[in-house]
Amino acid sequence: MAIVLLPAMLAAEAGGQKRFELQAMTVGEALRQLPIANLLFDESGELRRLINVFVDGVDARGGRLLDEPLRAESEVRVVGAIAGGEPDKWL
Amino acid sequence: MGTLLPVGTKKGLFLLRGGDGNESWRVEGPVLPGWSVYHAIVDPRDGALYAATNNFFYGATVHRSDDLGETWERAEELGLAEESGLKLNATWHVEPGKDSELWLGGDPGVLFRSDDRGATWEVNRALLEHPTRENWQPGAGGMCCHSIQLVDGTMYVAISAAGAFRSEDGGENWTPINKEVAADFMPEKYPEVGQCVHKLLAHPARPGRLWQQNHCGVYRSDDRGDNWERLDGNGLPSDFGFGLALDPEDPDVAYVIPEESQEHHYTAEGRLGVYRTGDAGVSWQLAASGLPDRAWAAVLREGFAFDDGGLYFGTQSGSVWTSARGGGRWTEAARDLPPILSVEAAPV
Repeated sequence: MAIVLLPAMLAAEAGGQKRFELQAMTVGEALRQLPIANLLFDESGELRRLINVFVDGVDARGGRLLDEPLRAESEVRVVGAIAGGEPDKWL
Repeated sequence: MGTLLPVGTKKGLFLLRGGDGNESWRVEGPVLPGWSVYHAIVDPRDGALYAATNNFFYGATVHRSDDLGETWERAEELGLAEESGLKLNATWHVEPGKDSELWLGGDPGVLFRSDDRGATWEVNRALLEHPTRENWQPGAGGMCCHSIQLVDGTMYVAISAAGAFRSEDGGENWTPINKEVAADFMPEKYPEVGQCVHKLLAHPARPGRLWQQNHCGVYRSDDRGDNWERLDGNGLPSDFGFGLALDPEDPDVAYVIPEESQEHHYTAEGRLGVYRTGDAGVSWQLAASGLPDRAWAAVLREGFAFDDGGLYFGTQSGSVWTSARGGGRWTEAARDLPPILSVEAAPV
């Protein structure tokens, strides 16, 4: 079972649950099972640009991202990209 | 009966509850923390609270609460089909329609309809595929469909910068209604479409009377938008602004909050000034008693609301100002909120 950890805002959207245990072969398969999947993926099914995913502490964007294979007990951590400070967009 | 003001901010939704005949206000929230709430409204049909919510990381969606913000449901299906070549950039405005209809305006110049209280949304194809779309362009806030009005069986939408459109058949067809409305930023100053409407309202008691605050002037129409009369040469310090409010019983009354210019998005003449017309825009008078006379504030397009009892607006500097009907005396209902994006009013 892979473990998926969500940041606070996504956990709030998932009814307060921040930790999920899921059967999944890849990162994409795990993320698409989440009740907040439509916040992670846009209408084309693409992972939103400013969402980072770490698998066992390694940035999956530097690897195969959604196709990154998961081991039993892999830890998948969803993190918003470091992108603050632009006044009109985020701050 | 009290008044509830859903106040959308860059950092969540606040709820202001009026007491003592709206002489005092209690601030609750934020709810939906982390979401930029471009617009929030209480549906008079069932009391549901809807919010057009956007987040830098997680995209654009709509939330519904059936218990005034205690718990929330998020839209399950909302977006644009891949063949459109477009993606939903933001949700801007929620408007209850007839029967089970709920309408949603968004960026890029799109309109959606829901018949299941906001769970799933279907794009309006006639507007998505409008033959003039290639002549639309985004304003500074994106190409947002921000005004949706339904009066007497006629539907109006306004998009920045595409102009205003009218439908007589529930959204099956849309007619541009921009005659004599200026687009000074275009090579052709009076095009069929491309005008930058900042806010459009239809008077609820006089079908056919429309008002708009535009990038290039303030206008009124008495024939459902077939013709427009420009109104900003008679007492307004500027033709530029965003917020617009009406009087639900008197179609000749309107309110605007002029800003200095398109280059300077703060209130005109260094004061926070609400201007009122009581003669359908022939003349305008300052109605700013109680408002600061030295201020460089900004009120966004969704930031000005009205109901049977009063007027309400919020500033980018986080203040909410309220007045009884007429705008005779303003009081600050809240201050130091995050930048305010929207204000609505509902009886509770």
